[in-house]
Formats: sequence, C-alpha cells, structure tokens
Amino acid sequence: MVTELFIAAAALLALVLTAVLIGTAGRPWRLFTDFGGTLRGIRANAWPLGWIAAALVLALGLLFFYFAPPGTRIGPEQPIAFSHRLHAGDKAIDCRFCHPYVERSNHPGLPAVEKCLFCHNYIIANHPEILKEHEYFDSDTPTPWVKVFEIPEHVLFNHQRHLLSGIDCAACHGEVRQMDRLQTRRLKMGFCVECHREKQATLDCWLSCHN
Amino acid sequence: MHRRTFLKLSSIGTAAFAVGCSAKGEDRLHAMVRANEDMVTGQATLYATACRECPAGCGVLAANREGRVIKLEGNPLHPVNRRALCMRGQAALQGLYHPDRLHRPRLRDGNDWREISFAQAASLLREKMTAAAATGPGRIAMVTETVGRTQMALFETVLAHYGAGSPLVFEPRAYEALKFAYAQVLGAPMLPVLHMERADLLLGFGADFLETWLSPVAYARKFKEMHRWREGRKGFFIEVSPFQSLTGANADRWVGCRPGGEAAVIMGLLRMVLAADTGRVAWRGDLAALAADYTPDAVARLTGVPEEALAAVADRLLAAERPLVLGTGAGVWGASAAAAEMAALFLNLVLDPALSLIDRGDRYRVEVADRRDTVLNAFEAMADNDTALVLLNNVNPVFALPGGDRLGDLLAHGDRFTVVFGNTMDETAARADLVVPVQNALETWDAYEATSRTITTLQPTMGRISAAPGLGDLWLDLLPIEERPATEYRQLTARTVQAAAAADTEAAWLAILQQGGRFDIEASLADAPRVDRQAVDRLRRSLDRLPAPAQDPVLLVAPSLRFLDGRTADRPWMPEIPDPVCQVAWQTVAMVHPRTLSDLGAREGDRIAIATDGGQVQVHAYSHPGVSPVGVVVPAGQGHTHMGRYARGQGVNPIALLGDGRDPLSGAPDGAAPIVRLTAAGPGKALASVSGSRFQHGRKIAVSVPLERADIPPPKSKYLDMDSFPLTLPLPEGYDPKRDFYPPHDHHTYRWAMVVDLDRCVGCSACVAACYAENSVGVVGEEQVIAGREMAWIRIERYQDEQDPTRLIFLPMLCQHCDNAPCESVCPVYAPHHSVEGLNNQIYNRCIGTRYCGQNCPYKVRRFNWFTWPFPEPLNLQLNPDVTVRSAGVMEKCSFCVQRIKTARTRAKNEKREIRDGEVVPACVQTCPTQALWFGNLMDPESTVRKMVDSPRAYQVMGYLNTKPAVIYLKKVVQAL
Repeated sequence: MVTELFIAAAALLALVLTAVLIGTAGRPWRLFTDFGGTLRGIRANAWPLGWIAAALVLALGLLFFYFAPPGTRIGPEQPIAFSHRLHAGDKAIDCRFCHPYVERSNHPGLPAVEKCLFCHNYIIANHPEILKEHEYFDSDTPTPWVKVFEIPEHVLFNHQRHLLSGIDCAACHGEVRQMDRLQTRRLKMGFCVECHREKQATLDCWLSCHN
Repeated sequence: MHRRTFLKLSSIGTAAFAVGCSAKGEDRLHAMVRANEDMVTGQATLYATACRECPAGCGVLAANREGRVIKLEGNPLHPVNRRALCMRGQAALQGLYHPDRLHRPRLRDGNDWREISFAQAASLLREKMTAAAATGPGRIAMVTETVGRTQMALFETVLAHYGAGSPLVFEPRAYEALKFAYAQVLGAPMLPVLHMERADLLLGFGADFLETWLSPVAYARKFKEMHRWREGRKGFFIEVSPFQSLTGANADRWVGCRPGGEAAVIMGLLRMVLAADTGRVAWRGDLAALAADYTPDAVARLTGVPEEALAAVADRLLAAERPLVLGTGAGVWGASAAAAEMAALFLNLVLDPALSLIDRGDRYRVEVADRRDTVLNAFEAMADNDTALVLLNNVNPVFALPGGDRLGDLLAHGDRFTVVFGNTMDETAARADLVVPVQNALETWDAYEATSRTITTLQPTMGRISAAPGLGDLWLDLLPIEERPATEYRQLTARTVQAAAAADTEAAWLAILQQGGRFDIEASLADAPRVDRQAVDRLRRSLDRLPAPAQDPVLLVAPSLRFLDGRTADRPWMPEIPDPVCQVAWQTVAMVHPRTLSDLGAREGDRIAIATDGGQVQVHAYSHPGVSPVGVVVPAGQGHTHMGRYARGQGVNPIALLGDGRDPLSGAPDGAAPIVRLTAAGPGKALASVSGSRFQHGRKIAVSVPLERADIPPPKSKYLDMDSFPLTLPLPEGYDPKRDFYPPHDHHTYRWAMVVDLDRCVGCSACVAACYAENSVGVVGEEQVIAGREMAWIRIERYQDEQDPTRLIFLPMLCQHCDNAPCESVCPVYAPHHSVEGLNNQIYNRCIGTRYCGQNCPYKVRRFNWFTWPFPEPLNLQLNPDVTVRSAGVMEKCSFCVQRIKTARTRAKNEKREIRDGEVVPACVQTCPTQALWFGNLMDPESTVRKMVDSPRAYQVMGYLNTKPAVIYLKKVVQAL
C-alpha cells in the first residue's frame, strides 16, 4: 500500500509543480506575488498542460504496474471466495487435507469439488459462495481456480522431495494462514538457486529442475 | 514510408512487445469434480490391457497420467511379448488420439454425410436388421477383423437372432498357405506357436517374423534367444527368398532365389537330406523319390540358387541338432506358397519327426481368419444375391483387396445398406451408408485369446474422449432384453474369462484384470505327428501345379513393418519413422536390384513406372542388392485415398496391381504379379531418405567381429587412430593428460551409461517409436524430412558390408552423452551442460539456436527445431507432462530419459537408499524386444552395464575421436555359411 501511495503522491506533486512552473513562466515565486497572473498563465497553457498530465498518468500507470501490479497485494480474485486464513489459519485444517498428494508426488493436487462439499453440505450450506460450489458439482464442472504460484513450463518442481526434506510450505508460499486471498510471489530462478546453495542441494540443471 | 505509418507500426510493435512476450501458459487450475481413488496427480497409474493393432495381441500396460493415457509399455507378465512392444504397438495411442477420429455416427445423405446421434444410429441399425431379417434368412452378411471368442460369440448370437450366419473373419494376411500345409500333411489346419528359441539352426524362406509374421514381438525375442552370441556359440539363420526384408537382413546368410522358386529349393534340400538317411518309413521313401528330380543343378537353373549355396545349407541342416524350417512370407504366388509351406513342413518332419519345436497344442488366434477365396467369394456372391445389409467391423477390404474399387461399388450398390464399425473414415467407410464409431481397444472391455494358452483382458485405460459406445455393448443392445446374455458387455467378458477358472469371485476377477489376463490356460497336448503316404501324394500334386519360377520382372507386394497391411498408416509416427532397411520415411519405395535399375537407365531416387495387368503405379526406386534381379518389391500399406490427414495421398498402394488371383486349393492370395512393363519415369520429388551413406567408409561406426574371434579381446592400443583405438570409459580413469585438453569430470555416485549389443539388435525400430511417445518428439512430415529436419532422438542406422552388400548391420544411434562432449565446448551460451551424473543436459530455455553444437557433434544426434511442430488436438493429450515441449529455435536431443532417472531418484531418496541397478529404464530400453539395450550406472562396479563393458566386444563409435561416449556398443558377431 505504501508503494502505491508513494507513487501517486509523487506523481501528483510533479503535476502541481509543472502547472506552477508553466503558470509562472518559470518563476515559481510569482505564485505568491502574482497569484491571479499564475492562474491566467495556467489557463492560457491548458492544452500543453493536459498533454503533460496525460503523459504523467501513463508514466504513473507504468510505474504502478511495474512496482505494484494489482493482485500482488491481495492476490487474484478466485471464482469462489475461498479464504485460506479461515480454513488453514482459524480452523487449522492441515494443508494435506486439501492438497493430498503433496507428500507423494511432484504435484500437490487440488481438492476435488466433492471434497469441499463433504463439509459444506453441513456447514453454511446455503451461503451464496457455497451455492456456487454446489453449482459446479451439479453441472459436473471443474472449478476454474486462478493459478497463484506460477513457474514456467520448462521447470518441474518436486513438492514431495522438498516437503520430505523438511522445507516448510511457507518458505515458498508465504504465510498462507494469514491470507484470505493467496498473494502471488515471484518464484524466479534466483530464489530457487539461492536456497539450493544454502542447503547444499543439487544445482544440476536437469536433475534439479529442468528437463 | 510515411511518418504516420512509421509511428503506427512502431507503436503496434511496442504494444505487442509489452503484451505478447509473456511466458504465461494456462492461468487456471482445474480441480476434479470427483476424486478418482487410484489417481495421484503427477504419477502414472498403470492399467493392464491388450494391444489390438494386429492379431498377435500382445499384453500392454497403459500409463494413465491425470486421466489420459500417455504411454504404452509391454506387460512384463504377459507370456507373448514379455514387457516388449513393437513400433506399431507403441503407436496405438495415436489411433486413440487421432485428430481425424470419428466422434459421431455418420449417415450417408446422397453424396454427403449427415451426423446423427448414437441413439439414432443404434435404432437405425436395429431397424435395418429387423427389416433384413423379415425378408428371409441370410440377408445379412458380416465381415469382421480377428476378434476374441467373447466378441465372436456375441456376433454369432445376434446374427442368429436375425437369421444370419456367422461372420466372416477377414485378415489381409490369413496365412492360408501355412494352414493349408498343416491340413494336407498333418490333417488339421493350424497356426502353431514355434519354439524358435530352442532351435540352433533356422532356415527361412521369406517368413518375415521380425516384422509382421504371426507374432513379431515374440519371435524377435525367441529369434535372438537362439541367435545371440553366448559362450562362444551362436545359432545360425539362413534365409532363401526373393528379397531381403528386415528379417532377411538379419540372416547370417541371405541367398536370393527367383520369385516362386522357394518350393524347388526346399525340394532340393529334401533330396540332399534324404540322401543321407531315408529311414525305413514308407512316406520318406516316397518323398525321396519325389525329390529325386530336384538335383542341385536343376534347382540352380530353376531358382538361381547356386549349387554350392544349396549344398552348404544342406550340410548345415544335417549338422544341426535342432533345426527349424520356416516357410514363406507374403510376396509370393498363392500356389507356390502352398507348395513351399508343404515342402517346408516335410523338411521339418524329416529333420525332426516329433516336430518338437512346433507346439501344435498352442495356436494363434488369427487361425480363425477365413481363407482369402472364401472372403472374395462372399463379396462376389453379393453381386448376385439379395444381401440387404452388410456389416463390417474394423476391416478395410476396399483398400486391402485387389479390385477394391469394384468391391466398394458392390457395397454401395442399390438399396444395399452397409454399416461400418470403425473409428476412421477409411476407404471402406467412405463407401458405406452408415459409419458407427465405437470405442478404441484402449477404452473398452474385452478379452482376446492371442494364443491357446492365454486370455488377455482388455479394460478401459482412460475416460472417454468421445461418446461412442463399446462394440460389445452396441451389439448387446441389438438383442431383445430377455435374450441378452448379459446387460453389459463387461459382465460377458468377465464370465468368459473366468470360465473354468479356479475361483469365480470378484477378487479373483480383479486379480486377473490386474495382471492383464489368464496365462494358465490348459491347452490340449497334440499327439505325435502322423504322416501317411497320401500326404506325399498331395505334395506331388501341389508341385505339379506349380508354375515355373519367374524369369521376367515380377512385382512382389510385401507387408510392411510400419503399416502392416495399411491399418496403421494413419498413425503419424509410422510414416515418420523411416523403414530400417531403405531408410526412407513417408514415401513408398520400390526396392529393385541395382542391375535392374541400371538396365532401366534410372538412378536411385528416380521414379519408375510399374505396370501389371492390374494397373500401373509410379514409385520411387531404391537400389538394393538384396532383391532378386527379377524382383521389384513394393511394401503395402500406403497410398490411401482416405483415412485421415497423415495417410491420405501419402505414398503408393501397390495392392491394386496384384489382380485378384488366388490358389484354388489353399485359397491363398497372390502376393506377386508379373510386370508387363517396367520403365524409368524420370526424377520425381527427392527421396525422403534419412540415410547419410549406406557404407561406413572405414569410419568404425557399426563394427562386427567374426565368431571365431568374438571372445578374444582386441590388442591394447596406445594410440588413437582409425584402425586401433582403446575403449576409454567416461570416468576419471579414462582421463589421460597427454590426450585430454579439459580436466576430467567429477561424477557423484552415478555415471549413467548405456550398452548397446549390436549382436542382439535386429533394427525393428521399436525403440524409435517408444522414444517419440515418451519424449514428445515432433513429427515433421515428408517435406521437412527431405530438408533433413527429422527430429528422432534415437534412430536406426543401417550399413551394408562393403564386400557383400547383402550383409546389413543395424545400429541404434542416440546421444552418446560423451565425457568429452564436442557440443559442450562450442556453445556460446552454455546450453549443453555436463551434469554431475554424466548426462549431457540440453537446457532449452538457455538455447539461442546457433546450432554450433549440432555442427560439432560427430554422431549427428542433435536436432534443431526449425519450427514449432504441431500436435493437432487431441494428439496433444498424448504428450508426456514430465517432458518440456520444445518450440522453434531450440536444439534438442536424447536425455537418457532424465525424467525416469528423476523418478527413480525420488523413490530412492524417499527410501533413503541409492538407486538400484536396473531401476532406471529409459523408454527405448524398456520396449526393446531383443534386449539389445541396457542402461545403468557405470560407477557401480556391480552394475550390469559395468560388467558388460568388460566384454571383449565392447567399443565406442568413432572412439578415435576421444569423445569418450557413455553409450558403449558391443560388436555384432558374424559367421559365414
């Protein structure tokens, strides 16, 4: 949130400063000595000022998307407003209940639609979000969850080995227990390599990640 | 360019750069609706079933990943194929996922097709059957492929209900001559299992048991069982035939004979063998009298087989302890095949009166196939009688029979209604009125009795990709409810499989299903063979009818290793993988003798026009000394006019040229036809050949060693030159500071290596197909093969001996994972990278496509992606999720199936142990029918590969380059007649 506020404030300040500079024809102290003249100067140059404002908005947008893309803060919106904080945090359901293969396979697995309903047939069964779940189940449609943690196609991450070597889920996925929506983390190669170096795990290209 | 245009284009470019260059793939994760109990994401679940690509019926395990089958492997428990699978079996997946597979029934609407629902199709079928039955008995005719007993019984029940007789079983190769020989000599037509593995001498007359003959995977294994070098000995295999097929290319000595001359050669051998000992048995005396005319010089005159060759073969036969004689393959006249098969059986009887190598109690299912003349007569009778309804199950007679067009007209004639049950729009389906898709063999319940001693169970190996019903269920629905033997075909299958089983419980059924069938069926033991003098009379009559062997050019139509009779031509891997003998992909070639070719004034790769009474085709010529000078060999299977995008218009179909001649006694079709005109037709499209050269030019690529010297280690060599170079293992011990520029690699615990035993390799190319399946290798098509852009990670190279070009040697060539890899040192971006376990890793996302590595690789195993090769839906469902799909601009190559190494590694680490010997099995090693390939850890002194490397036959391909390959070859052991 700080980043966004900072970017927006800086941009606003830049716009005001430019307007003052244009209105006072490069002599900013005139703002105080000749305020009416400054306003006239701004109005006379409304058109180029508009261009500059537009350019600033663009730059702002670019900065914003670069440093604080939407979704990183609160995570992408999911088809069903599922809260990891509530399930994994408050209710303390084990991760492996819903991601059953995480200790058995490369892929952790997602809970089947029916698994949600094992409980939610009894708990808040008529909640509008649970009704959505029912609809997926009744129409035999897989829930299209939005992917949060992304690694490129040419990387194969082995969940089983990492878990069995004692790496905590949170080491890569963050404090899921405190997030309603899952927040995206950038899992770049440097992140992997750093940890592999630290733990003296294999750094071999194929044997560790790529093939 | 205007300023504005420039600005527009550059802004589009900027926008495209910002938006388009994203590595984002699928951004959704789809959860299953209901969890499947035995499905773990990321791990394959294996289902045991059977391969139904040919009547051999090998057992397979289908690997199901996340609900789709991605790989087929032979079932290790199945007695027929024992873990191996041939290339056609590997490609069965592409029938399942074929992009042109039919998914809805089609009803003819004038010259067009209308899609109808399955319910409509079923009711229409019932309606037509009822209507046909109402007009009188026998108004329905059915022709089916070879099916199991369960399906056959159901056909019979349903057809009887509608007043029709049993279905005809049509197989383009029904082995009529062989069955006829058994009927004439021993009294019953049969196709027994041969114990080739127990023989010490094999004499063949064209039976292509390594390609298509009866049960090729089993015979490849059995053949190498007797024909591999072991303790200084090796079985001997001689083939006398008009042309060298892959089987003939594996013979220790191939002797060419004129087409149609096989019977005379066998009679000549009988004469010599009987001269040694006629015994006191009456029929042997008769036989000796009959064979008396076949003196060596007469045989030489008739067949072109030199006298000394015949004498040498006879000597071998007499010296052998357990000789076995095989008959002819395809590509012969029906009448001469019948006589040759009879003579061959007599030769077997003379050499081994008990026929101990011929298990007459165990027979192949394809025995039920009807004789060609029965099938043809049935079709011809249709022209005259009032057959109202024709049902065809997965057969393609319009393509596979000579005069198919006329047959198509018969099917489409007037108000005759033709129904085809099949998944492709092949030539026969195109002439039908109703095409009903049914489940593929990998999706359905069934049982198949490949041999008398086995019942293989088939089960669905994945969910359904179309709404098509199973053939069995469709047929059950044709019966009124009260007459149905079961409500579901699955129950019927279980009932027949469990009949006479020890336990009839659900648990027993599951156990059977899990192992892939019942392999403990008691087959009746055959009595000792009884031969009488009449049998010899019958042979005399057959010989009397025999036309003289051809003196003028003859067209020989051979079955194909890759397409069988044409049924697998639409699987893209099959045309893409070159024929091992001629090394040509996608195109049909005519193999001709070099002399014939030069007489025509044509060169290899030119087109030649072949005209017979049946018609004319133009086909590429391939010059091969292993063909009789009067023979022109064209493999069948290509030249489809329908059958989907990969088969249509590809190659040439020679079947039409044969004419529908057949032997009236045996019913065997003619696989040969006299050529009335053979002319050069000028250069056509370039030959899609992947062969660099047919000779080795002394480069020591595929090396052989005479039998006498096989166990003598070659002298230690101090130098590196082309005549003598040491075996330098890719281990620190192979480092020599005088020779090596780079320091040795430090390997941790494992150094993966492969041993290729050239003495066992028969060139069947099953490994190539397995690699395509496992590693998602792209299919490039004819044009790109011509441009030299094929993608195979493993290929079969064949070289001719420079002295005797009919001696061929096959060599599987794959990435050698060198310790001194020339590719690694030239890459500017360090994309080929030497792993701690010795693998040569190709890092796709690092590769920028300079192709320096491919240029510097002496083995030419690196493949560049000139394009992103398409996997049209749903073929993409077959892709292996553990292997990165490569895109344009990236170099790729064999990885030693690193994904399998990683799986084994994970398992070992979970169990806190080291990877065991034999735990890592790459796809090529897994499928090899002859166990020519071995894989393991070279750093483990106890591993199989480490021990094999100590063999005196071990060498490295072009070892004088000091690349220190991790693929170590064992020399082929050759012997002279």
